Amino acid sequence: MTTVLTFLPFASSLISFVFAALVFRRYLARRRPYLLLWGIGMTMYGIGGFCEGYYGAFGWNPLTFRLWYLFGAMLVAAWLGQGTAYLLIRRRWVHGLMLVLAVASLYGAVRVFTAQLDPAAMGSSLHTGSELSGRAIVSGGVRTLTPFFNLYGTAFLVGGAVYSAWIFWRKRILLHRVIGNVLIATGALLPAFGGSFSRLGIGGALYISELLGAILLFLGFLRATTPLPQESAQK
Amino acid sequence: MTHDEKPSRPQRSYPAVYEKLIPIALALIALATLAALGFAVAVATGFLP
Repeated sequence: MTTVLTFLPFASSLISFVFAALVFRRYLARRRPYLLLWGIGMTMYGIGGFCEGYYGAFGWNPLTFRLWYLFGAMLVAAWLGQGTAYLLIRRRWVHGLMLVLAVASLYGAVRVFTAQLDPAAMGSSLHTGSELSGRAIVSGGVRTLTPFFNLYGTAFLVGGAVYSAWIFWRKRILLHRVIGNVLIATGALLPAFGGSFSRLGIGGALYISELLGAILLFLGFLRATTPLPQESAQK
Repeated sequence: MTHDEKPSRPQRSYPAVYEKLIPIALALIALATLAALGFAVAVATGFLP
């Protein structure tokens, strides 16, 4: 189990960093804000996975925990979702949301890096402590922030992908974008479910779902940005 | 050729497998999102540990 709890997060971290590098390269060529935000979001995903793997391999470290909680648990979904927001919302509004997210993220970072930690608190009747858990944060008011970031991120990332897929499906156009968006929505949902199962004491659920989530997000992005052969032939 | 005989615009469609799978996938994702949100609310309100 320990090997699994080390290997899986390192694998999802590697996939996330490769994905982020691809997205950043595309951003440099096209300068679209959503690509920059997805690149940042996938870098956060990669940092989260790396910290989980580090914990599995070398054990507790306060800095690793804080980096994991900030990037892997608190901010990743919100920054990926903000990228989707740039695709769907008018510029003036989305810049305002971006400002709010940036300030809230800075506040979250300060709270996470000044919080009191107790690694023993990660073990409970349901949670074995073999996986990282926000329970290690003893200070009040820090973990309360996380659902707000995650709800915001999930609403835009999953909601935006489903909305786009629905629009294209209704018009029967751009099949590759429909498939890509279905994969992105599924990939974004998986870690949320993994977190829920982990909370209910199912060992390994979080790390497996994060790995599958990273793979599906990557495949979804590739599919959404690459027309199918028959679509290209129709042009 | 009368107005009624005018050829209608060809109806676009996806391959049959996608026509069936995509609405099912979208419905499942919508249900899963509701379930995830429900779980989050249950945890936040203390209904689940």
